[in-house]
Amino acid sequence: MWSFPPAAILNNAMKKIRKFAPALIVAAPFVILMSVFLVWPTLTTIEKAFIHDDEFSFFNMARAMSGTYRDSFILTAQLSFITSIIGGGIGLLMAILLRTLPVESKSRTLADSWSAVASQLGGLPLAFAFIALLGTQGILTKILEAIGIDLVELGFSLTGLAGWALVYLYFQIPLMFLIMTPAVTSLRSSWFESATSMGASSWQFWRAVGIPILLPTIVTGFVLLFVNSFSAYATAYALSTGAGQLIPLQIRFILQGNVITGEDELGFAIVTWALILLALSLVAVTLLQRRVSRWTEQ
Amino acid sequence: MTSVNRFARISFWVILIGYFLLPMLAMARFAFQTIPSFLLTTDNFFQGWGLGSLAVAFQDAGVIKSTILSLQLCLATILLTFLVLVPLTTFVEVSAPQLKPWLTGATVATWLVPPVALVVGVAATFREVFPGFLVSPFALTFFYSLWTLPFTYRAIDGQLRLIGAKNLFEAAQSVGCGPILFFFKVILPNLKSSLYISATLIFASVLGEFTFASLLLKQTMPVYLWSFQASQTRAGFALALVVMVATALILGFAVARMRRRGLNFSATGI
Repeated sequence: MWSFPPAAILNNAMKKIRKFAPALIVAAPFVILMSVFLVWPTLTTIEKAFIHDDEFSFFNMARAMSGTYRDSFILTAQLSFITSIIGGGIGLLMAILLRTLPVESKSRTLADSWSAVASQLGGLPLAFAFIALLGTQGILTKILEAIGIDLVELGFSLTGLAGWALVYLYFQIPLMFLIMTPAVTSLRSSWFESATSMGASSWQFWRAVGIPILLPTIVTGFVLLFVNSFSAYATAYALSTGAGQLIPLQIRFILQGNVITGEDELGFAIVTWALILLALSLVAVTLLQRRVSRWTEQ
Repeated sequence: MTSVNRFARISFWVILIGYFLLPMLAMARFAFQTIPSFLLTTDNFFQGWGLGSLAVAFQDAGVIKSTILSLQLCLATILLTFLVLVPLTTFVEVSAPQLKPWLTGATVATWLVPPVALVVGVAATFREVFPGFLVSPFALTFFYSLWTLPFTYRAIDGQLRLIGAKNLFEAAQSVGCGPILFFFKVILPNLKSSLYISATLIFASVLGEFTFASLLLKQTMPVYLWSFQASQTRAGFALALVVMVATALILGFAVARMRRRGLNFSATGI
């Protein structure tokens, strides 16, 4: 008789297990993948960034934001800001200009496929292409030289801020186009028609109606472009062999030279700062979107 | 006024198309014409073209070896991703829709930690706890699978909604079909096109992936390409061009196919 309550509990527990077992079995691989290969390494990095001489300290974090490393953060942020503003502006303009193409048309499919492809083209091949065009022996460099324009004298180089920005725009513009197209297409053409029938010019429509409605998506787009540029590695690597000043290259430098004691701690701190910046910008997107959507409702 | 507008519009497109085409053309010229740029004139522009550099690239043992490794990684990543994602996404769509925001959030979260940041943590944790794990290049599979989750999840989830997986499950249950039989007999055949698209997206991404492989010192094709072009620049550029064109074609094809099926492709996961 005394075994009755435990048996009931056991029975109940078995029922629950049977109910949740399929869920556990299908979810387990995903949970393991996420926690072992994403969450654990990330949390370890953040934890180690705050440990110096086996004690909790802000020493590494402070060092990662001083001297050359601070300059690197500023330079990377500048590059990301410039390419997100220019790339975002051009991508938005393209989405607006191509708005009237019917969704099923061939040229629309082409534009969409192009943007999906080009936004993912980064890395070595892209850098090689620009080196062949605008490197010191590049064909355009030589053509411009022949007609009397010396790029080096003008201060342009693929290993400087302007050069990096020019290359990064190659994937930033299509990325913005990709983000903006669904939003621009969803603008009702009746709004445009009613604005023009009341005598508004196309410019007036976009300034007073179109852009304010699209603002949340535009802001999201700019931030995503910023993040995308901030964390681009392969292109930066190929454009500035060895001694790069951009943050992703600083991370590489420390990662590969971490035999020197204390330098790996610095790497953790730089990564932690980068993660903080990325997280902040995404939080900013969410807050801005909320605020902007309040404006557009009024 | 309108003619100024029209002129501005046309120049905008001309500059843009030039910007996107010229680097590719310059790369092709460098790879397939043997005349160096400083000796090039209008007279010899049509001389010295040939595919010799590509032959050099494809005869290099390192190129072959690293390409095979990259292809194996593509295959392994596709298998792992399907194994992890397909049963779970189906289960959430059919029996636990309340978990959907969590699943979507988790797949997008992988983009909060860019590869160059993740790799630092990976080196720190795995080298201390399982030093042997990072020795094999196939350790990359797990990171590649994570990194492509936002795309693959959207493709699979979109297709499940499109075929009405939930209603199909109820219908299957009413005729006495169990969940496992339902998954293999109903879901998988219906998911074929989105699995195909996901596989293509993974293939294109993994084939060109440089950051993880380079920082974890694995000789995949892009990593080998970097050292190869240092000694064989023209062959290296030719190979890079071929890889880029092939990737673009594969991706473009997948996107066009997705659009035809009414699936929305968004690289941002938003």
